Amino acid sequence: MNIYKYASPAMFYPVAGKMIPWFAIPAALLFAVGLFVGFFIAPPDFQQREVYRIIFIHVPAAWMGMFLYVLMAIYAGVGWAFNARLSSMMASSLAITGAMFTAISLVTGAFWGKPTWGTWWVWDARMTSTLILMFLYIGFISLQAAIDDPRRADRAGAVLALVGVINVPIIYFSVQWWNTLHQGATIRILQKPTIRGSMLAALLIMLAACWLYSVAVVLIRLRCIILEREQNAARFAEVHV
Amino acid sequence: MNWPDLSMSGQGFYIWGAYAFSLIAIVWELVSLRQRKRALLQQQSSESDSVPASVLRRSANETSS
Repeated sequence: MNIYKYASPAMFYPVAGKMIPWFAIPAALLFAVGLFVGFFIAPPDFQQREVYRIIFIHVPAAWMGMFLYVLMAIYAGVGWAFNARLSSMMASSLAITGAMFTAISLVTGAFWGKPTWGTWWVWDARMTSTLILMFLYIGFISLQAAIDDPRRADRAGAVLALVGVINVPIIYFSVQWWNTLHQGATIRILQKPTIRGSMLAALLIMLAACWLYSVAVVLIRLRCIILEREQNAARFAEVHV
Repeated sequence: MNWPDLSMSGQGFYIWGAYAFSLIAIVWELVSLRQRKRALLQQQSSESDSVPASVLRRSANETSS
């Protein structure tokens, strides 16, 4: 079996269609389970009481915003370097979902900041660099929308995505590099987490739900982009593959 | 199992506000995708099916422009 044929957008189109339910249905189930554990099983925090429950959407959204940007930059870079249309289309597809998660992390962070810090917004390093990430997403989407030729739009977007990727480690390490109002990481890969098991479980389930949701939505959008750009080829592949 | 009260000890506005915004954002994304897909399918069905099969087959196998 030649798997490289699926690098053709038209050949990938029907495969993406078959993959979507395998991500969408578990995503919906995990969102329900994660919220149930987060609201009904996890106890109130000893300091922040109930308001800490915003963590179950804020943290996964912030992680997804950063992760999807890196993924978008990789796909855009591969598309640019190897002239691979499907990679560039994938980058375009990732941008809106990444921007949505970044917006969720900023707004839910503001809702968390008001009762805990006494303010909706401060220009500290973590929040400012996350706002810059939002602007990078908006810039990428606007730039692609402003250029009529899709190949030129892909190349311009790739340059912006690759330059902007430097912002992601800045967001991640900002709480270590600068003295910020934002709290440090509670979960580290190599260290024992400092939060209770049920809280961690809810957080990880919600993260998995956001992951699966992203894959499903990005594949749906990718199919739309393929149809927009190569309608005839996609129609052929849908019927014959 | 803990049954949280809806006022969330007086912090309900912040918690429900955060989740309401998230829900609106996700629903907006899904609805806009659905509309985009529907418009594309309508456009596709309104166009004629007169494209030769050889043209379709050739473009289906291309990986780069």
